[in-house]
Amino acid sequence: MTATTTRYDGELLRGAQWRGRAFTGLSVAVIAPGREAAVIVPEVVRTARAVKVFQEEPDWLLPLPLPLPRALAVPAARLSLRLRVRDPWTRRRLTPDARFNRHRPRVDGRYYAALQEPHCTLISWPVYALVPGGLRSAEGIEHRVDCIILGTTAAHREDLLA
Amino acid sequence: MTTATEATYDFDAMLQTIKDKQWSLADIDWDAPGAELVTDEVRAKMKPFMADLVWIEHVGARGFASLAKKAPTPTIKRIYEYFHAEEQKHANAELALMKRWGMLDEDGNPPEPNINVKLAIKVLDDFGDTLPLTGLATLIPLLECALDGALVKFLLDEVHDPVCHEVFRHINSDEARHITVDFQVLELIGAGPLHKLLIESLALLSPQVVIGLIVVFTPLINKMRDNIVAMGLPEQKLYNAVKRFATIGSRGAHTSRIPAYHVLKAQAAMIIDRSSPYHRLLADPMVKLTSFVPAKVLGRPQAWVDELTHEPVAS
Repeated sequence: MTATTTRYDGELLRGAQWRGRAFTGLSVAVIAPGREAAVIVPEVVRTARAVKVFQEEPDWLLPLPLPLPRALAVPAARLSLRLRVRDPWTRRRLTPDARFNRHRPRVDGRYYAALQEPHCTLISWPVYALVPGGLRSAEGIEHRVDCIILGTTAAHREDLLA
Repeated sequence: MTTATEATYDFDAMLQTIKDKQWSLADIDWDAPGAELVTDEVRAKMKPFMADLVWIEHVGARGFASLAKKAPTPTIKRIYEYFHAEEQKHANAELALMKRWGMLDEDGNPPEPNINVKLAIKVLDDFGDTLPLTGLATLIPLLECALDGALVKFLLDEVHDPVCHEVFRHINSDEARHITVDFQVLELIGAGPLHKLLIESLALLSPQVVIGLIVVFTPLINKMRDNIVAMGLPEQKLYNAVKRFATIGSRGAHTSRIPAYHVLKAQAAMIIDRSSPYHRLLADPMVKLTSFVPAKVLGRPQAWVDELTHEPVAS
């Protein structure tokens, strides 16, 4: 736990700072809930060498802007997930908790495909610290990356940026 | 011993403690001296034991993943998500110990799980997320008491490698929090409305749960028990560990309202009584029967079984 007091010394991008950047040759970690990761990850995956998506909380995604009431939007999003992600364990980690997640489905057609690119990994372990060279997550592993992108939610986490 | 523990227990404070107490495999010097204290004799004896231990932690991790889907509040859900990761961390750390002691093959692959573990994986994949909260929330502390109280103590008595002791100081401190939360959640469930307890308990009587208990859980525990007794673990230690489940459970004011708790307590009492007909008529025959199950019929397990790693740093 001593290492957590020292800072991450690679490139740290917060909020929207990742926009318009090229990540050619870099390994990148994205820390964001599903609704934010869905915007960030497809762009980053295009140029980065390797991407690890630390997505602790999933959100529903609709592939098209369908004018559906909520009662139909969630089943439609569930169907879309079922059709576009074959692996059941990945699907489980992309399924929001019906009791506590009250976000409306977002429109995004690229996130699931980006996650399934061979150089992209979905990780759902909680991230508890940024350390020199990378970050640490609760499964006990230190993930070394060249660049860390904190989504808007993660950019406000005091425990990560202390 | 108060009657209002469920109202006073502060899960938010516990979540904060859990976050503060995180540790990493990268904190440990896996090449520190001491590995030579594990002699060839101990290595041969311990290899199957460690393999079982890694897989039981890994399966326990999957159990917490299912619990997170059932957690009564967002805070408890978050705690279970951390516990899921921590059990995975324990499995990873134990795998790293196996690597240190030369128990892995050249590629560092995790050991193959035995058929009873494979059955448990299959059942968790298929039914884990649909089990009612009371069932899983009662089963997991029983497993943890047994694991924590007997297996780990046995390991520390047998192995004198200081790195192993350092790792298990971390693991034991995590497990103590797991057991505390497990029983506090039982208190919370037990204090709930009676009709809800009864409905959930009736749901537990569904065939897949009962068959799961008989075909998967019963032989899993008995095989483990036989393996470690054959290795020289005093049976008394295992008994003490299982007794702890009943002792801690009886401290709570509301836990005894949960029918599943009584069923598992009764089963635990039979497990530790070697003269009970439970072994002769049910558990031992089930160990034998399941040993004939070809692993192929179980199909491919879900991808979580591939998430084990002994590498403290991933790039």
